[in-house]
Amino acid sequence: MLVGLLINGLVSGALYALVAVGFTLVIGVLDKLNFAHPEVLMIGGFVAVVASGLPPYYAFIAAFATGGLLGLVVEFAAFRRFTDADAKITAGLASMAVGLVLTDLTQKVFGTESVSLPIGGGWLSRRFQIAGVEFLNVQIVIVLATAILTGGLHVLLQRTRVGRQIRAVAESPVSASLLGVNVLRVSQAVFFVSSALAAEAGLLLALRSGAASSDIGLTFGLKALAIMAIGGLGDLRGAMLGGLVIGVLEAFMFHLGLGRLSELTVWLAMIVTLMVRPRGLFSSGTHGLEQRA
Amino acid sequence: MISDQLFFTGINVLLAWSVYIGLVTGSLSFAQGAFMAFGCYGAGVLTVKFGWPLLPACLVSAILSAMIAAVLGYPALRLRGVYLILVTIGITFCARVALENIDYVGGVGGFGGMRGADLNAVIVAVLIVGAFLLWFSFSPLQRICDAVREDDRVASSLAINVTFIRLLGFSAGAAIAAIAGALYGHYMNFVRPESFDVLLSIYVVLYVVLGGTNNMLGPLIGATLMTLLPEYFRVLAEWRPTVFGLAILAMLLFRPLGLLAFRLVTAHASVSAPRKSGSL
Repeated sequence: MLVGLLINGLVSGALYALVAVGFTLVIGVLDKLNFAHPEVLMIGGFVAVVASGLPPYYAFIAAFATGGLLGLVVEFAAFRRFTDADAKITAGLASMAVGLVLTDLTQKVFGTESVSLPIGGGWLSRRFQIAGVEFLNVQIVIVLATAILTGGLHVLLQRTRVGRQIRAVAESPVSASLLGVNVLRVSQAVFFVSSALAAEAGLLLALRSGAASSDIGLTFGLKALAIMAIGGLGDLRGAMLGGLVIGVLEAFMFHLGLGRLSELTVWLAMIVTLMVRPRGLFSSGTHGLEQRA
Repeated sequence: MISDQLFFTGINVLLAWSVYIGLVTGSLSFAQGAFMAFGCYGAGVLTVKFGWPLLPACLVSAILSAMIAAVLGYPALRLRGVYLILVTIGITFCARVALENIDYVGGVGGFGGMRGADLNAVIVAVLIVGAFLLWFSFSPLQRICDAVREDDRVASSLAINVTFIRLLGFSAGAAIAAIAGALYGHYMNFVRPESFDVLLSIYVVLYVVLGGTNNMLGPLIGATLMTLLPEYFRVLAEWRPTVFGLAILAMLLFRPLGLLAFRLVTAHASVSAPRKSGSL
């Protein structure tokens, strides 16, 4: 029972982490808050609806590509013009407007009700037991996919040329561009990667709940924003840990019969964290490479 | 139906002004939905459960909301920019979930029985708040707020109590939002916690962004346009969020500094020289 609860919490925590990592990547590198991020997450769920007839890995590839392309669109529409530090809030508001448009267009295509996926009873919802603990296949898929994606992100940031450039821009955009880094390409790469992760998270979320709905952006997505703040703005490790911790915490609160009050957990935790330690829990306060990106 | 439309226009204008008065001191608040809910439920409890008339209930709930805002804002307003946005979004979520779990005011099912507000009440409220803002924009207080918004360190070196001024702006915004909420509740007769969603707070802020934050007319125009236009153009009503979002984007793009980087056009035309100003 307890283990099952823990696993449930870890699975939703993994999804939170996947979205929060995207938020934190944008804010860590470009110092901007991307409010269109939750809507990309939401659209990832609808990719699952569209691709439900195909073999599952097509859905994952499609979600990755859709999310990435949407990220490029968001970057172009809401962030390209607002690069200087003064326009931080303006860029946030512009991305909020893009988010409104994305939500509305999605609702025009798929309707405002949630669309259920035709996968009930399939392979994903089958269960198996290891040492007396029941697992759902979809839980394994979510954990594996999250591990692969965040592992891939780590490799991208630490081992590749693009990753080195991203870290350079995170340190200082001006010095990076003086050293020949194309800051525009880097910010496009950041938006591509972070939005692709969000769309994958949306896909996984839809697979888990068996339905895609157009309002998860404002519920699940904004919760991930709060988790990002708890972990520390721009801190990848913090976003991962924060996601897992909050996921488990919520599962236990829910189990204790607090019902919808457990929705308060993450927001109260965020408000308290920001009051006491505005830099976030895990950020050690230095802007070293490891901390920021 | 014209009176319905005018009523909602008035409510939205009040809400837009409540955001504006916070912005004047440099704090962008997404907690307007929460303060509207406080006002609505507070006044509703007073009129329905205690039998008060609408006017005193409105005023008391506005004062209560201002006090709640002061308590919440005192620690929150030390944070600026992105942090303040996050905390105010959090306040909106918490308020909604809290209301859904208080059975005294109906919980998720909603709270009903308020009545008594009509179009005239809103017009009076808009006129009073408008007159206050007009007085404010010609008063020395406006220039103190300008100083706090543009550079709080300089302001505090000029013996301005920055925290107090920002708290004042935040609380005044909360009070205005509470009045809007109280009138809204007593006009609709029935409200649910989900009426005061975070989406509402986002919309209200975007009204202000669309209309402009330089003076009190901007929010008025933004809110009026976005409420009334969809009523008269079918296409706009159908595609409301899209058109609204694109309008915001266009506004922000064609004024590259962004509407939030204030061009100092105060009521005093003589100091209207445009200059690049600091971020929020």
